[in-house]
Amino acid sequence: MTSPSASSRKALSKIATNRLQKELMEWQVNPPAGFKHKVTDNLQRWIIEVNGAPGTLYANEVFQLQVDFPEHYPMEAPQVVFIPPAPLHPHIYSNGHICLDILYDSWSPAMTVSSVCISIVSMLSSSTSKQRPADDERYVKNCRNGRSPKETRWWFHDDKV
Amino acid sequence: MLFKFVDFIVDGSMNMAVSSSFSRTIYSEIEEVGWEHLVKLAEDLSFVTFRVVDKKERVHVLEIILDKSYPNCPPSVSADVPYLFNLEWSANSRLNDVVKQFREHLEKLQHFWSAVEDIDQSLWVFDSAQLHRATSLRRINIGNDCSIILFIRANEPRSLPECRFLGSDKYVNMLRDKWRRNSDKWSKDKLFGENLANLLEFQLPGPPGVEKNDQPIECGICYSQFLPVDDELGPKSGGRTDYTCENSTCSKAFHSVCLGDWLRSITTTRQSFDVLFGNCPYCSQPVAVKISTRK
Repeated sequence: MTSPSASSRKALSKIATNRLQKELMEWQVNPPAGFKHKVTDNLQRWIIEVNGAPGTLYANEVFQLQVDFPEHYPMEAPQVVFIPPAPLHPHIYSNGHICLDILYDSWSPAMTVSSVCISIVSMLSSSTSKQRPADDERYVKNCRNGRSPKETRWWFHDDKV
Repeated sequence: MLFKFVDFIVDGSMNMAVSSSFSRTIYSEIEEVGWEHLVKLAEDLSFVTFRVVDKKERVHVLEIILDKSYPNCPPSVSADVPYLFNLEWSANSRLNDVVKQFREHLEKLQHFWSAVEDIDQSLWVFDSAQLHRATSLRRINIGNDCSIILFIRANEPRSLPECRFLGSDKYVNMLRDKWRRNSDKWSKDKLFGENLANLLEFQLPGPPGVEKNDQPIECGICYSQFLPVDDELGPKSGGRTDYTCENSTCSKAFHSVCLGDWLRSITTTRQSFDVLFGNCPYCSQPVAVKISTRK
């Protein structure tokens, strides 16, 4: 997904650059289980491979997450989306947008890419049915011009899955 | 040790026969390695760990996992090393053979550890507290807000390592070009500092001379000890962490600049004169930060 905001986004601030270098190093030493950071030299966009946890509905499936960092990370949340095809899940839209509070209102600089990844895999793992959100078609249509999920006013349904 | 035998008897007579002969085997094999090397033996004898000291007096711990099929099947081993050895196992192999092979493996890894120690002592290595014996990569400060990650080859530690550059695009592209152009200048006989200086065409900074009891603390937001040097930050430019969460079970340290920036970016924060009232991003307890006046 190449949103217009991605091409016009500003370079990382010094603070963001320093912090991301540290996060990347910590990731290399101690990566979260089931995730693989695809090696690139682009600090501002991470592509992460996600393996569905064994014993869950998504076992043996592989997905890709795209994580884009704003100029003032970690004061602002990173933009995290699945690169379609996104997993079939009641909180994941077919365009890859994820309805998960910590990516928007509940973000805090105490979180890291790694802790976000762990939240996403636990959201997948607790799913009991493979289906799209009820309003998928309407939402995806609304985002057609490449709108960032961070511009969506999210309404967090429940915390069951 | 008596307790163990009592447990086995309670388990039932069939188990007892198997278990007591199994435990007799294990005990006599540990005896052979030497009890002074034993670190831990699991109560159910599912694993045993030994302390092994190498030539340079580095202490290593070898864990050997024993399942019911031992000694008919080779046990699995784990240790804090960059890569493990292939255990050679035959019908009359014993724990002592595992330890012996581990010692030989440590011998092979001496070059690797002396190479990474050379790096740790002569260059400015980040996050050194998180490094294990198995860690074969190092992130090194090269100045100008840039760092490089070196991936040391454990079996060929003095050869040209794979390198990743982190920092501003312009500077990093320039360095990457130099690295490519000069990569044939790398010599296995030279120390890392000298090799890196030859490839990058400048002398890299040495380790920071920080005194142990005056170690600056990292900020929980920007993850740095010092703020960047930046005119915009006025007197706080390059400063250390100057705010600690008052909740004693949290006590997270921050730069008041970073905490202030965060509090200002969320809508739940209240301001009274020049003090921001909000919550600690780690423990959610109330915090109050005086904001600095910026130019």
